[in-house]
Amino acid sequence: MPLWFIRGLRRGVITTRYPARPDSSAAALPTPPAFRSGQLTRDVADRIVAVCPSAALARRGDVLIFDAGTCTACGRCGEAAPDAVTSSGEWELTAAARSDLIKEIPILGERL
Amino acid sequence: MTTVEPQATGTSDQLVGQLGGLGGLEVADGGATRGAVTVRVLPEILEEATHVIAGTAGIRLADMFADNGGDAPTLRLVWAHDSGYLLTETEIEGDQYPPLSDIAPAAFVEECEIYEQFGIRPATGKPLNRLMLPPHAGPGFPRLGHPPAEPLDEAHAPHTVGGQAFEFPFGPVRQVGVESLYYGLVTSGEEVVDLYLFAWHKHRGVEWRLRGRTPREAIFWAERAEGLSAVAVGWAFAAAAEAALGIAPPAAAARTRAVALELERLYNHAAATAALCQATGLTVGQSAAEIALERLLRVNAAAFGHRYLFGVVTPGGADRAPDASLLRRELPGAYGELRRAADALLRTNSFVDRLEATGILSAEQARRLGLVGPVARATGLPVDARLNTVGPYAEHPVTVVTAEGGDVLARFQVMLGEAAESVRLIGEFLDAGTAADRTTLPRGGGNGLGWAESPRGEALAWVALDEGDRITRARLRPASVRNWRGFDDACRSQNVFTDIPIIEASFWLTAAGLAR
Repeated sequence: MPLWFIRGLRRGVITTRYPARPDSSAAALPTPPAFRSGQLTRDVADRIVAVCPSAALARRGDVLIFDAGTCTACGRCGEAAPDAVTSSGEWELTAAARSDLIKEIPILGERL
Repeated sequence: MTTVEPQATGTSDQLVGQLGGLGGLEVADGGATRGAVTVRVLPEILEEATHVIAGTAGIRLADMFADNGGDAPTLRLVWAHDSGYLLTETEIEGDQYPPLSDIAPAAFVEECEIYEQFGIRPATGKPLNRLMLPPHAGPGFPRLGHPPAEPLDEAHAPHTVGGQAFEFPFGPVRQVGVESLYYGLVTSGEEVVDLYLFAWHKHRGVEWRLRGRTPREAIFWAERAEGLSAVAVGWAFAAAAEAALGIAPPAAAARTRAVALELERLYNHAAATAALCQATGLTVGQSAAEIALERLLRVNAAAFGHRYLFGVVTPGGADRAPDASLLRRELPGAYGELRRAADALLRTNSFVDRLEATGILSAEQARRLGLVGPVARATGLPVDARLNTVGPYAEHPVTVVTAEGGDVLARFQVMLGEAAESVRLIGEFLDAGTAADRTTLPRGGGNGLGWAESPRGEALAWVALDEGDRITRARLRPASVRNWRGFDDACRSQNVFTDIPIIEASFWLTAAGLAR
């Protein structure tokens, strides 16, 4: 058992205060979508709502509702509508209230 | 280590001949399950046919499930042998069928599940436990078939047994982030007399949710049936859909899947090592194993874009290819971290003493209960789905690691041997070439069986597609479904209360995989 004590001391503390530095693997991780309002039409919105497997997307009139807390960053919406959906590159997600994770994106494509 | 060569198809031919003598009919038309030899068995000879198959050396019951695609529910039994799978299918008239778990004890869990989901049961009055559906599941609760006529039992022990033992309730909420699972531990204070598990808290109706979807849509849910085996269950499901459609993935994409599958094995075995340290109270060892685990998860993220390797497998091929140069550079260091921790643990008497002679299972128990993975291999049985394949493991054969003893130490040694083998195989697959590529899925219906060797054992999937490319029934059978059946027996093998976390860590199963 003393050997484990010495082994622990030798290895030292490897955790850091957050965020000491960006995680090197973060750039490779899939991230939730970002939406281009100008490219979103009702048809496009309905298409991406239909392919979302975790029900993170819904359409209410001319507004696309995106629940970042439900999104799994699977990338299916980006595949279905590459012009209107990009990857946000934001892999850190935090909010003080659940409701802060729900975004409303205006559908402006049909007006342009 | 034992190298096991795939054997000739003699077992299958012999059994088909024997079943034909009883009146069974081999199915060769479009109704057959591709990926397995299919034999149609009439209800009146099902019991005798099961006797014949279960009594054949080297064969085990891998799965049993029902579907209601026809006028009456069809019962399918999947039998694994050295060179592949044999599937029997029987249309059940009425709501009863022969008590198959009396012949093949491995069938009991499935008998409970089939009663919950389809309302048909063995023709004896034996009590069937609640398995997947919660107690509040009324007739309107989403099911694959009809609700059972009688409510299911919840097999609690009396609080005193012979005036000595009592049930100690533990769970479903457990420490830190461990999955919800209820243990009914029947104990006399120290010794474990009996143990009941209730896993329905994790039921998500995954198989029910897959109906009506295309295979490409459904893979998202299939991966999540047991997240810690996402690659294996996803591969089994994709292979079943591919078999149903009569296609095969491109060779480089199949090797991509194999790289991901071996990475999945590595991080799971590292996590099991950390859990063993936690269970034995060795916190520095736990930290050392968790450092290795974190490094392996980061290798996954950097190589495939996901720490838990979701989204790699897709029906027809692979959606993501690994960063080969990164894997060659980073994997040896991450694996070395695990190896150093494991070597130090094996030199620590207080650790090894807790593992030796704990949670013992015999090879005979493993065979009768149809156990798979490291749990079966630690009893000396060379059961490994990677041997039954025409894909990358046929070109790059796996050296199956087995051990004798069947205790926790044997399981730990099997895991360590397998981790080394996984690193070797990944190197071979990368040298042979990997790619994100897929074969286009043709339209058309059919049934298919698929399998893959997950870190905890053989994962199976059976998929039926209609002409519109939609799933009419998908059966997912992660290894946890099989091996929880052996956990009860391992805990009862003269163990004390505090051995249970050690045994659970060595099995490294999931409640999610069982409850789906």
